[in-house]
Amino acid sequence: MRALCWNGINDLRVENVPDPEIVNPHDAILKVTMSTTCGSDLHFIDGYIPTMREGDVIGHEFMGEVVEVGHEVKKVKKGDRVVVPSFIVCGNCWYCQHDLYSLCDNTNPKPEVQQATFGQPTAGIYGYTHAFGGYAGGHAQYVRVPHADNDCFLVPDGLKDEQVLFLSDAAPTGYMGAEFCNIHPGDTIAVWGAGGVGLMAMQSAFLLGAERVIAIDRFPERLELAREKAGAETIDYTQVDSVVEVLREMTGGRGPDACIDAVGMEAHGMGLEYAYDRAKQALHLHTDRGEALRQAILACRKGGTLSILGVYGVMDKFPLGSIMNKGLTVRTAQQHGQKYVPRLLEHVRKGELDPSYLVTHRFPLEDAPRGYEMFKKKEDGCVRSVFIP
Amino acid sequence: MKALVQDEATPLTARVDKEQLEKMASVVLGGALLTLGLQRRSLGGTVMALASSGLLYRGLRGLRQLASNPRDRREEGAQTKTPSVEHAITIGKPADELYRLWREPGNLAQVMSHFAELSTTSAEYTHWRVSGPLGQDLEWDTRIVEDRPGELLRWESVEGALLPNQGLVRFRPAPGDWGTEVTLHLDFQPPGGALGEAVLTRLLAVPDLLVNRALRRFKSLAETGEIPTTGRNPSAREGAHLH
Repeated sequence: MRALCWNGINDLRVENVPDPEIVNPHDAILKVTMSTTCGSDLHFIDGYIPTMREGDVIGHEFMGEVVEVGHEVKKVKKGDRVVVPSFIVCGNCWYCQHDLYSLCDNTNPKPEVQQATFGQPTAGIYGYTHAFGGYAGGHAQYVRVPHADNDCFLVPDGLKDEQVLFLSDAAPTGYMGAEFCNIHPGDTIAVWGAGGVGLMAMQSAFLLGAERVIAIDRFPERLELAREKAGAETIDYTQVDSVVEVLREMTGGRGPDACIDAVGMEAHGMGLEYAYDRAKQALHLHTDRGEALRQAILACRKGGTLSILGVYGVMDKFPLGSIMNKGLTVRTAQQHGQKYVPRLLEHVRKGELDPSYLVTHRFPLEDAPRGYEMFKKKEDGCVRSVFIP
Repeated sequence: MKALVQDEATPLTARVDKEQLEKMASVVLGGALLTLGLQRRSLGGTVMALASSGLLYRGLRGLRQLASNPRDRREEGAQTKTPSVEHAITIGKPADELYRLWREPGNLAQVMSHFAELSTTSAEYTHWRVSGPLGQDLEWDTRIVEDRPGELLRWESVEGALLPNQGLVRFRPAPGDWGTEVTLHLDFQPPGGALGEAVLTRLLAVPDLLVNRALRRFKSLAETGEIPTTGRNPSAREGAHLH
């Protein structure tokens, strides 16, 4: 089959690779109908998250049609049109039983690296480094989905691919981030980053009862989407002296009730700290540029909540004193998609959420390297590239 | 990166690539601090490596054993130091059920298949075969010497094994709704001299990894009925480097 393969830093190519097969009894094989880029892919494409190997098939946000199932698969059947969360989960372990799906104990076949660096290993992901399991990803004609009964969600008739594709990752991630904020009537939620995840977090915050949402980004087209699609107020951080001060002014001096970081380790910023981060990252002295996260911490009102969706490795100059002295609650996780997909499908079915506007650029799978290039550089107002095999 | 990142169908034995391992470990640590330090082989470099993260260094010590030469761990000609490894894991099933699973011959063979081929000759005896890289197999038989159903199982290699060893698995109820805490303990007494060294290098350079993997594989089998695998995976070309 044809698949998008990583061949080194910033070197993606579409190649011929072996077709996936049913290996374990709970596996299914999907014929991918659509897949999309994700900002967290950029971290290993740019070389900031290690443990990639040449020839790795990437992509963790996808949907498709079931073409084959293993002999223990009970619910999912051939011909089903399904959307698949990016984390592979077993459904049986303590973490899955407690809705903490991305922490699944039974889907990372190579747990040693994470055990050494995180303390405990997490669930496996499709197409996202060998530390996260080394599974082949979804930017391909076909993909193997382990534990299919837990990980494939049937798409109701009448919904287009674009409407449900992002329920694989961006939408549940954003929704989880908003849920972490423990939103009360009257709350103001600030969201750093107006990409796919950030926009979904903004819309989710309103769905969960927020009164105001404030988006922070620098790209005019993204800020416009935040206003038009999510109903957020916006701050272009390149146009203000201090995001933290502007947020204070906008909230009567308090600061937002909760702050969501939807940026992660390759943040851009303006000041001295950004230059410092940039230099250290370039020298590989640390992996993370933490400008967005630092702003979120400083901006958050006393006793408020910090919700972290951006992906991080290690970071220095982390203002823990601000978190501690202001009594902030920190909530974070990789997305527990399996918890949220059913309710998000319901929102989409009822017309309360339609993420299809995130699709700004469509490509055949063969042009995926170009699609990633445009996505990374945000050329032509690209929010998300989607690939059709 | 062989020993750590490979399909579990391939034996873990003697597939250690020091440079790759250290590279992997260090980059995960957040940049090349550790690599830089280790490459410089100087006091400053070592300090730099250690300073990169005390906590991470501790976490990696187990992994770094992989890369250490057995000669560093014993005096020339002396009896090889006994490698003894113990790890625990929590499994969401009752102790009785786990004990029964462990006693089913086919299951144990699956659990250990990442480094050894097991065949059960009787209720008491198990035959172990570990294949080395040069087509040389190492084989031994173990006999169950203590059996407390639902609680504990202890085995020892029979007289005359080239690589005398003992093992113990213990099942203890975990608090709350966690199920059972399972502890696996393996003890090897390699002979001294060149043979002992070969055995160590080939098999016991990674005892930590073997035990850890075995427990995780047992857990997945018990909780899900299968062991996670990337076997026959379209990802990663044969022999591809780890970055």
